Amino acid sequence: MRDDPTVVDLVTRARDGEKKAWDELVERYAPLVFSVCRRYRLAQPDMDDVGQSVWLRLVEHLPGLREPAALPGWIATTTQRECFRLIRTTNRVEPVDLADSPDVPEDAIAEEEVLRHERRAILRTAFSELSRRCQILLALLTQDPPTPYDEISRRLHVPIGSIGPNRARCLTKLRQTPALALLADGPDERTRR
Amino acid sequence: MADLDWNDDEQMIEALRDALASADEVPTAFVEAGKAAFSWRTIDAELAALTYDSAWDTLDALAIRSESAILRSLTFASDGWTVELELTPDAVLGQLDPPEAGTVTARGEGGKLATADIDDLGFFALRPVPTSPYRLVCTAASGTTILTGWITP
Repeated sequence: MRDDPTVVDLVTRARDGEKKAWDELVERYAPLVFSVCRRYRLAQPDMDDVGQSVWLRLVEHLPGLREPAALPGWIATTTQRECFRLIRTTNRVEPVDLADSPDVPEDAIAEEEVLRHERRAILRTAFSELSRRCQILLALLTQDPPTPYDEISRRLHVPIGSIGPNRARCLTKLRQTPALALLADGPDERTRR
Repeated sequence: MADLDWNDDEQMIEALRDALASADEVPTAFVEAGKAAFSWRTIDAELAALTYDSAWDTLDALAIRSESAILRSLTFASDGWTVELELTPDAVLGQLDPPEAGTVTARGEGGKLATADIDDLGFFALRPVPTSPYRLVCTAASGTTILTGWITP
């Protein structure tokens, strides 16, 4: 796991009682808690329960957190445990199908979600470092479904023929942003485990 | 998670779509509830962990138990303290051991849900029974505060 100085700083400040630092931690990692809950197909009220337990555990856990850099992993694993606990208490039976399913090893899910969360965060940061023009073009192209070229041409006042090359150019710029350049020495090793 | 080739334009577009969309999918209330959890840190208490829950017993045992007034019994323990609970429809009955007078409060994520006195024999009856997850904060007259784990009704 990459040592993120921001996380270490946030944890230290939250531990000292700074509410703003805590809020930032929650904003940063709520998507991770959310995506782990989604893996267990929890309904929204159950997700809220799990979320509450995870944050309260983290509040208790903060003073004893020796390696703040390991926080994402801790959050993912704790969320997973809370999901299991909730499934067990609501059904009053062991979640056999989930726990024993051979193709869903538990720690693999937590680790996968941590990597996914990290990758999304890096990409969003990289995106925010792009020029406004590239941001608009890539935002249109990443709509679901993608905005058609003729509509992009109309909205951005550019010839249809220039959209393809601009798309490639903006993606190259995206790869060259400081956020992604940090991974330049081997993003593949990070995502391929 | 599929491997990502950072040099492939199509994969980059797909990864970016996922990253941008995921930022919007988390409900605001979910994030705000997490921020509110910070207020718990001000409670300086001994944590009592769950050591027994009748819900752990088999379904058969539960069926027998439900014929009596006691729906569920729980035991929380920390160093030197035990809190035994019986969750009845009418009240949360509790016994602090060693016995000591004091007060007990049920706290949910939004704050206090119910408060009751603990008598000289360490017994309390907390009403109304909380309907959402809560923890008990037992403050003994000697100054010790004991915080139980979460109880989900």
